[in-house]
Amino acid sequence: MSGASLSSEERLPVEERRWERLPPWLRPRISEQHGSGRLWRLETTVLVVVGLFLAVAVVNDLARQTRINHRLVADLTTWRHYTDHDYKNISIDQETLGAGSDHEVLCGNTSGGAPGSKTQICLAIWGATVGGRRTVHGGWYLPPYYEDVRSERYGCFGAVRRLCPR
Amino acid sequence: MSAVAQGEPRLAHERSERWVSALATVCGLLLVAIAAEIVVDAAAGPSPVVPKSPELVGWLSGLGERLGYRGFLIALLVSCGAYGVLAVLARRFGTRAISTRWAIVLIAALQLIVFVGPVLLSTDVFSYVAYARMGVEHGLNPYTHGPDAIVHDPIYRYVGHDWDRVATAYGPLYTLLSYPLAPLGVVGALWAMKLEALLASAGTLALTWRCARARGFDPVAAILVVGANPLYFLYALGGAHNDLIMMLAMMAAVSLVVVAPAAGSSTRSARREAAAAAWIVAGALTKATVAVLLPFMIVSKRRLAPILGMVAALALAAVVGYAVFGIHGINIVAALNRDAAFVSTDSFANEIAHLLGKPGVFPIDHDLLKAALVLILLHLLWRTWRGYDWVAASGWALLAISVTSTWLLAWYILWPLPLAVVTRDRRLLAATLAIQALFVIHQTSPLLAPVQ
Repeated sequence: MSGASLSSEERLPVEERRWERLPPWLRPRISEQHGSGRLWRLETTVLVVVGLFLAVAVVNDLARQTRINHRLVADLTTWRHYTDHDYKNISIDQETLGAGSDHEVLCGNTSGGAPGSKTQICLAIWGATVGGRRTVHGGWYLPPYYEDVRSERYGCFGAVRRLCPR
Repeated sequence: MSAVAQGEPRLAHERSERWVSALATVCGLLLVAIAAEIVVDAAAGPSPVVPKSPELVGWLSGLGERLGYRGFLIALLVSCGAYGVLAVLARRFGTRAISTRWAIVLIAALQLIVFVGPVLLSTDVFSYVAYARMGVEHGLNPYTHGPDAIVHDPIYRYVGHDWDRVATAYGPLYTLLSYPLAPLGVVGALWAMKLEALLASAGTLALTWRCARARGFDPVAAILVVGANPLYFLYALGGAHNDLIMMLAMMAAVSLVVVAPAAGSSTRSARREAAAAAWIVAGALTKATVAVLLPFMIVSKRRLAPILGMVAALALAAVVGYAVFGIHGINIVAALNRDAAFVSTDSFANEIAHLLGKPGVFPIDHDLLKAALVLILLHLLWRTWRGYDWVAASGWALLAISVTSTWLLAWYILWPLPLAVVTRDRRLLAATLAIQALFVIHQTSPLLAPVQ
């Protein structure tokens, strides 16, 4: 009788006696066995370690995002200083010159108006932040109402001439 | 002498309870004030917190000032602090600190304030309306077309840019529920969606109360931890997310199982388990995630009833879904696979990738995360087989899904919360709230370095 050695606490109800054919470690239980503290401690340790790892990842990402934000503030200052326009709506693109790099493209109107409604000047900016600004390495122009795609660029200058169509 | 000795601790005890009660009141009032401030300011004009929306709350527009993202984040952090204190007091002191009536009034006020305000923090509700209008007004199948198939419809311009080419990923039950709202017009349908979310939230809280009481927990603390959670009332309810309907079905299933009839016969409890499984299927036909509860319930009960309930509900849904939407309407796995490939900046997977020096999540990472999730689910199933509470195991499973997902949004980390407050394993509640805290902390970079 496989169930003969079971304590009353471990005994399954009548309708579940079929499971008693299984070895004890495989049998289902109605409730958790008392004294399973070792598994609880192991699980809790894993949870704490995972939690700490996630916390480190979050703080690291927060610091990374903050650094990026500081850089973007410098980029906006640079664009406004270079064009001598104190415009608010300047688009920032972090993909064109390499995602994950610190190279950005900032586009804004060359004269006042709704965002993108005038000829736009795009500046390619990278390098260290000095005095709250970074270095403009080149750029291009876009016609009004066009997004920054290669086929629409013209007047490329500086180190990014290759990014204009021939 | 002894009377004096007994009297002093009692006096001190009463005094400390008064302090606790006063502190809870202050925290509750702070939550209400912040919710009102956010709603009134969000209605004042263009804000990064409010998606482009048709005119919904014109009568609120003159009351507040434009809500900036920094202002919202500060309000969110303060409300999270107040919620944290309130939750600790509610769990520790129960009705001695917070009366039942006060808790219900507080939660109702928070929900109603958000309900009367504009849509907050997400464009999802516009997609819900778009899918409904595609089916009812334009005769298009929302499982085969994205909202860009109805570019001339008035709802189209409000659909999120990332989703305008994407067919619906929601279950056929939810899509059918949304169909009667389409003829109400865009504004009418949006209000109906908001009302649906409010009622689902109220139902979820009522069932959470019921489950907590049935399991011997303080129901007031349970509903406060869920209903006063800022992510719950600002993000889930504020965005009128259908996750609330999914959570309602989830809690209906749990309450059917855990609230045992007074003199329950085996047949009666089998019927309740079958109905519970059908409720989970109904929830999964709204949003598929909740289906993860089924294996835990089945393994825990080890009876035929939940399996029969599940099969019957699935068969009915398959017939109706196929009849109305065709094969695409019942192929939820394809929709899940498509959405599983998305990556959001707030996902832990993305943050870990950055920690490891990678620019983002690669395809191999998706596979690793899926493998990790499978291992966690197998461990939880084994634990449930060996007597661990299936409700807690389900909560852990939902938490694991949100943490390993590469597409994580605030309302996803609410899924396990109603389960966490009705289980004896306090680690689940601690882990759920810790994950929510990490999510909120990750939002705060604009506070540290605003880009202007």
